[in-house]
Amino acid sequence: MNDEARMTNVEGMTNDETASNAGSPSSFVIRHSSFGRGRFLEALTFWIFRLATYLILAAATYIFLDIGIKGGRTVFTRTAPFINVAFLSQAPQTLYVFDFAGKKMTLGDREFRDWKSVHPGVEVEATSVAYSAGGIWPCIVGTALLVIGSMALALGIGISSAIYLSEYSRNGPLIRLVRIAILNLAGVPSIVFGLFGFGLFVIFFGWNVSLIAGWFTLGLMVLPAIITASEESLRAVPQGLREGSLALGASKWQTIRKNVLPYALPGILTSSILGIARVAGETAPIMFTAAYAMKDEMPWQVARFTDFFFQGVMALPYHIYVVSSKIPQNEYTERVQYGSAFVFLFLVMLIALTSIVLRERSRSRLSW
Amino acid sequence: MERVAASRILIPARRKSRRAQMAIEQGIKAFFGGNALVAVIVLALITIFLFREGFGFFGQNLANLQLYRQAGLEYVDIIRAVTTQHEALSRKLSEIRLREVRSLEKRNAAPDEINAALAPFDQFASGFSDTAENLHGLVSDLTEQASALKEQLAAGNNSGSETALRALRERGATFESVSAEMTASVSNLMATAPALPDTAEQKSFDQWKIAVRDYLAGFPVASKKLREWSADEPIPWYRSLSSFLFGREWVTASFWQDWYGIVPLLVGSVMVSIVALVIAVPLGVASAIYVSEVASRHEKRLIKPYIEFISAIPSVVLGFFGIAVVGQAIRAASQSSLFKWVSFFPISERLNIFTAGCLLALMAVPTIFTLAEDALRNVPRGFKEASYALGANRLQTIARVIVPASLSGIVSAVLLGLGRVIGETMVVLLCAGNRIAIPDFSQGLGAVFQPVHTMTGIIAQEMGEVVRGSTHYRALFMVGLVLFTITLGINWLAQRFVARFRMSVG
Repeated sequence: MNDEARMTNVEGMTNDETASNAGSPSSFVIRHSSFGRGRFLEALTFWIFRLATYLILAAATYIFLDIGIKGGRTVFTRTAPFINVAFLSQAPQTLYVFDFAGKKMTLGDREFRDWKSVHPGVEVEATSVAYSAGGIWPCIVGTALLVIGSMALALGIGISSAIYLSEYSRNGPLIRLVRIAILNLAGVPSIVFGLFGFGLFVIFFGWNVSLIAGWFTLGLMVLPAIITASEESLRAVPQGLREGSLALGASKWQTIRKNVLPYALPGILTSSILGIARVAGETAPIMFTAAYAMKDEMPWQVARFTDFFFQGVMALPYHIYVVSSKIPQNEYTERVQYGSAFVFLFLVMLIALTSIVLRERSRSRLSW
Repeated sequence: MERVAASRILIPARRKSRRAQMAIEQGIKAFFGGNALVAVIVLALITIFLFREGFGFFGQNLANLQLYRQAGLEYVDIIRAVTTQHEALSRKLSEIRLREVRSLEKRNAAPDEINAALAPFDQFASGFSDTAENLHGLVSDLTEQASALKEQLAAGNNSGSETALRALRERGATFESVSAEMTASVSNLMATAPALPDTAEQKSFDQWKIAVRDYLAGFPVASKKLREWSADEPIPWYRSLSSFLFGREWVTASFWQDWYGIVPLLVGSVMVSIVALVIAVPLGVASAIYVSEVASRHEKRLIKPYIEFISAIPSVVLGFFGIAVVGQAIRAASQSSLFKWVSFFPISERLNIFTAGCLLALMAVPTIFTLAEDALRNVPRGFKEASYALGANRLQTIARVIVPASLSGIVSAVLLGLGRVIGETMVVLLCAGNRIAIPDFSQGLGAVFQPVHTMTGIIAQEMGEVVRGSTHYRALFMVGLVLFTITLGINWLAQRFVARFRMSVG
């Protein structure tokens, strides 16, 4: 018998009881004597709850639709190949708007220079709008680099510490301290991580605004989430598997490597994908540790190999912050604003969706 | 289980010596343990670095305050306060005039008529603002002198500061004659105060007159302060801390004097969080109850992942959405005739506490929902069954059994939601309006529609531009430290609630 059926059954019983004991003075019955009103109240309350729930969903859906539709105009095109390749593959440029021969011209930086060389001697009064032409390719690359580096760092440290916490540690004062630290680190605001990264990596270690400072800052920020998730999946592996392996004479490390990790790994990776979404989505920690508002070279255009790690990059979230706060809202800027927001939201949501779908599937499949 | 059986034999074929194997096992264990310690080390480093960069603030701020006194800036500010009060009174007069014009317009008076009716009042108002002319001259002279002295002292040159200070005080001593003159002229003017046509306005005008009388009575107090002021009086050490924690002004890069008071930022953060929670708590808890107790299985499978999905929306995208859509929409709504009865509508700023609060609510809802739903689901089945067995219906069971049993879990969910909201940066940076001021609470609920700056926002905005090691730089680290402490406190409270919650169910 499922929950619903049981409930209706119980209510049905109450109904009969109330009817037969209508005259009794006991408080138990008085509460039920106005049964119609009670039922009405119940239905009303549940409708209010339902409304609240769907209000949340509607608000989120509105955001997705608004950014999806307005951003879609930038990212997709009506003609083949249906995707605005230029927007995804170029660097941001300044947009020039001017009137020429009765026509309104909007040209990017490079096009504007070409146009000038074609029309020598023509003086035009052009208004320039920063960042509004070109595309967002360097930002996508920068974000990818930041995510890869920081996740490698966080997964390495995070899974190792989770193994220690779940497989090796006994409940001592030190372990309690570690757990308290993890719990509290999870609640520290991202801007404080940014301050910390700025104070330690950028200034104290002298790394300046660089990819590696961003890796460490973001990696440490997402670490508590990774540790907690990994430990949970390690603990979900039944104790019997460990005992069986140990009974066969395997050492502790062999047991972990062969009999615990393989079963816990899908769970660890699934939860870690949510960590990727968080790392990719954060702006505050990279604002003064890794991100530049504008950079002309691509990350791999460096003189020496080591320079790769010590260069700042453009990042998609920081780019969105810059284009939504530093330039005005008008018809010329909307293209880049909604376009970047759309691409970014799409990427992050894709990662999050992957994680949620994977988890739902593993939840239904894995049962020990 | 099949995989275990199929895997190779676990005992390695080539046996190393037992001791070497033990050493390897110990090494592996130490490696993992070392990684686990990273969390503690990071937490310690965060604390150390916030303190390291932040604590220099107190010394530097104390020097800053000392310079404020030694250069006589404090002396000048006593007189400046008198001037500001005068300006405030003048502003009140023009407010009275504005209201008077409106009430006359309501009576369908022509613009010429209005001007004619208010001519004596205008004459009075301009006469009043003229009375402070000498005072303004005095203040601007003193400002120049004190600024010059401050620059000289800041450069480390102490020679001649005594004479400069004496000159400053001599010039400042003329305040007595200036104020006496002012008292006389204002009293004369008050005698000629015109009557206003509107009784309500006449009332506020009378109140204004009382305020002026108080203002004039304040002159002797100010001159007494001036006489007693001394540049050599040392500043107590705690002033540096109290001026940070209780200072009501955050002024940086000013030509006159920098103030680092956290109150406006703290109030901004708290106001935004309150608005966000007022929206998010009912929605989050109601939806958690709905999903765990009311919704059908199919609804559950749709709603839960969707709300989790919402929590992955990057905050900067929400902030952008706030600038592009929500701010405009709220301002447009406030201008519509539907809300004409609200006294503080229409609002002037589209980016304000309410805009930021609405968006933050959407960030807090998934946190509150997920944790509250967890708590509700963990209520033992027996509780529910016992309640039904006693004849309670579903609503009664929810309200009297399930929610009370999971209350501490729900409270901790709300607290963690608060932690998330108060530490959120991008949304408030983009949508809270970024005006460093304590909102005007005299407007009641209207205070919610004013722009503020927040602790997280100020760090994000100013950190990129400050000189490393300056007082301003250290002040920002102090703000970070306060933020860190607040979130740790919230976290600790939430954990205590969770601990209690576990007990009540166990």
